[in-house]
Amino acid sequence: MVAGDQSDPADCLILGAGPGGYVAALRAAQLGRSVTLVERGQIGGVCLNEGCIPSKHLARFAAAKSAAERFAPSGMPAFSGQPDMAAFQRSRAAAVSTLVKGVSTLLEAAGVTVVAGTARFVGRTRVCVEIGEESVRYFDFKDVVIATGSRAAVLAALPFDGERVVEPSRALEWNQVPSSLLVVGDDYIALEIAVAYARLGSAVKLSAPGERLLPDFDRDLSSAVMRGARAAGVEVLMSSDPTPIAANAERVVVSAGRRPNLEGLDLQAAGLAAPNGLFKVDAQLRLDRHAFAIGDVTDGLPLAHRAMMQGRAVGDVLGGKAGGFDSQAMPRAVFAEPEIAAVGVTEAEAQASGIEVVIGRFPLAALGRAVVEAATAGFAKLVFAGEGGAVIGAHLAGPSSTELVAEMALAIEMGATAEDLALTVHAHPTFAESLMEAAEVSLGRPIHVRRAAKN
Amino acid sequence: MARFEFRLPDIGEGLAEAEVAKWLVAIGDHVNEDQPVVEMMTDKATVELPSPGLGVIVEQLAAEGDVVKTGSVLYVLETDARIEIGNSGHTPVVTREEPQDADAPAAASAGVLAPPAVRKLARELGVDLARVKGGGPGGRISAEDVKSHASGAPAPAAAPAPAAPGTRIKLRGVQKRMAETMALSARTIPHVTGFHELDAGAFAEHASRLRADAESKGTRFPFDTLLVRAVAMALRKHPIFNASIDEERGEIVMHENINIGIATATRDGLIVPVVKNADAMGLDELAVAVGRVTTAARDGKSSVSDLQGGTFTLSNTGAWRGGLGTSLIRPPEVAIVAFGRIEEKAVVRDGKVLARPVMPMSLTFDHRIIDGEAGLSFALTVRGVIEDPEQLGA
Repeated sequence: MVAGDQSDPADCLILGAGPGGYVAALRAAQLGRSVTLVERGQIGGVCLNEGCIPSKHLARFAAAKSAAERFAPSGMPAFSGQPDMAAFQRSRAAAVSTLVKGVSTLLEAAGVTVVAGTARFVGRTRVCVEIGEESVRYFDFKDVVIATGSRAAVLAALPFDGERVVEPSRALEWNQVPSSLLVVGDDYIALEIAVAYARLGSAVKLSAPGERLLPDFDRDLSSAVMRGARAAGVEVLMSSDPTPIAANAERVVVSAGRRPNLEGLDLQAAGLAAPNGLFKVDAQLRLDRHAFAIGDVTDGLPLAHRAMMQGRAVGDVLGGKAGGFDSQAMPRAVFAEPEIAAVGVTEAEAQASGIEVVIGRFPLAALGRAVVEAATAGFAKLVFAGEGGAVIGAHLAGPSSTELVAEMALAIEMGATAEDLALTVHAHPTFAESLMEAAEVSLGRPIHVRRAAKN
Repeated sequence: MARFEFRLPDIGEGLAEAEVAKWLVAIGDHVNEDQPVVEMMTDKATVELPSPGLGVIVEQLAAEGDVVKTGSVLYVLETDARIEIGNSGHTPVVTREEPQDADAPAAASAGVLAPPAVRKLARELGVDLARVKGGGPGGRISAEDVKSHASGAPAPAAAPAPAAPGTRIKLRGVQKRMAETMALSARTIPHVTGFHELDAGAFAEHASRLRADAESKGTRFPFDTLLVRAVAMALRKHPIFNASIDEERGEIVMHENINIGIATATRDGLIVPVVKNADAMGLDELAVAVGRVTTAARDGKSSVSDLQGGTFTLSNTGAWRGGLGTSLIRPPEVAIVAFGRIEEKAVVRDGKVLARPVMPMSLTFDHRIIDGEAGLSFALTVRGVIEDPEQLGA
């Protein structure tokens, strides 16, 4: 079938139904735009189907086992038997399906037209969507949002074979815990998979290219996750060549970063360009008057919550509101051992940009809740703009860090100072107290740790 | 002091590039916020791009005449100001500013302490937070601070008088450019127009023959080709018509090349595509060039270079049954010629009244540098060539 010049009008066309695209679609529809959403895979994108959601499912599943083990000294009997991975997979699929259905229902209720197919530009205001093998549809859009996301990058030395050597997403779908597993990479994805499978009983090696795990996090967090991974049973091999190690592993997972999905879009046809393979957008997420980009195709951290916030902002702009993406704080959560989370600047970044900072560091060993949970290895490290100044960074290691970081993101957005944090009552006994305590440390008047000698 | 890289914003409907028409400031110059820094030309309009903040121009990354891609760095501003994305939309730059790294660490902007809801309010009210004095501890900016800044800020010029009823069409693009150019012309140039009636019998036959020849070869021969050729010949003989005035230096600039602009009506307004080196081409080549630039102009597909570098303008109103009329010179050019429709008229020859094909021509020139005698002399040359078209070549 040749569709020729037959085309449909699309007031607002969104390419990609991942966390960026579907949120943008819902917001734009909420504000009265007529939205067409094109998705070549599943609604919810990588995040919902094969990234954030299932990977956290696996991480928490594995952590349940180690939580019991932490209480072994308090009398909890040791785990016997192997986790039933087939049952886990059914549960994972069910959770994903519930969430995908939820998003689909929302889109339907909002009157968003969902088109299943692969889009490419064929003109400044026209997109061709290939639907299956035979059929194509053309859409003439007024505004377009490119939210096509990213995929796993390939490491030349260890290309994916789909079976033994796989990208991280595939490692979430195994029906059996491999007897031996090599994880290649130093990012949070590699780390989470290594720790989860080590906890589930696999002999896991983690091969990192450099001398640090999470090289773009605060150094103290890098050290914490290194120690934690080793404690969880991961053999961590820093500055190592993964190729010879890979030969002896039953399974190999390679996490070499994310690549934006822009190749097939034929951007040139729309007069658009992505210098260095990523879009530079302004605060309105604009590429030009009628084209926008959000999420992993834009310059910045490839994180679902960043895409979602951008999706809301671009939805506002499309709806004629004074929308903008100007978040000051972009939290990051890593479900490794221990859980870690970070937001804002690191101590090193602050120093590099010449900002005088004061650090407040509180060890969990001094926290009641951490002691009873036998989780005293962590800490809260807060970065303040000068003594008594606003909090500009938080680096947390320990249980619930991924939740606590939300308080710090809010603190940064609100311009909260060390006093604000120190004078806010935090429920006792919780891990959140570590934040209040760290603020007190920065002010030189800690209660629950000894005062450091002034130097 | 921070270095701010000013990138070329989208200054037209999704245009991918624009040409640096003129730098309005030099390297080392201090500029104020909103002070025009550079004039950019696209195939649709010329736009002045104002500085996004107070500072010093330390680098210019493109020379006049360079074509720059949207998004690439035009110049670097050394500035203390925190350049923010505004929302007031009064210039192209403000609606489409330098993409900022939104993931930049908070410390980078520790100077502006405003919670998200206050930032949203600032966007809605078009307030630049960098200019708001925060009343809270450590300079924190509250919603009240933003509101009072917005109400205390000078009103954006006097409110325009209530609009009279009627359909209102915003002046923009080609039309705006036409308005500006023509007003400048009428305001600054002392125009003198001479009217002439040319015997165009031989000329019309010559043109028909060339057209028939071209058609038999499957090519086109636009009528304007011969007019361009005739004018080019006259310009070679009278170089003062192929000049411009540099008012700043008080100099007349005599142009080496004869680049003839052809006034072309388009749906959007007047456009003048240019045939470069019109006197240096064979007639066939000239026909192709004339056909190409005028067709592109009518289709709205002129390239930037097609619209540039003109040294003289020709207007042919024949297709619209135009008769005698005056024209406005396109500054900095110094003359323009207009031709009307060839029509039979009563002409007295050797004491007898004859019906002859007559083509009206008006020649308008800038009396600051061209006097009446020169004007008549030029017209006479054009007349001579048109009335004896063999000189135009075949």
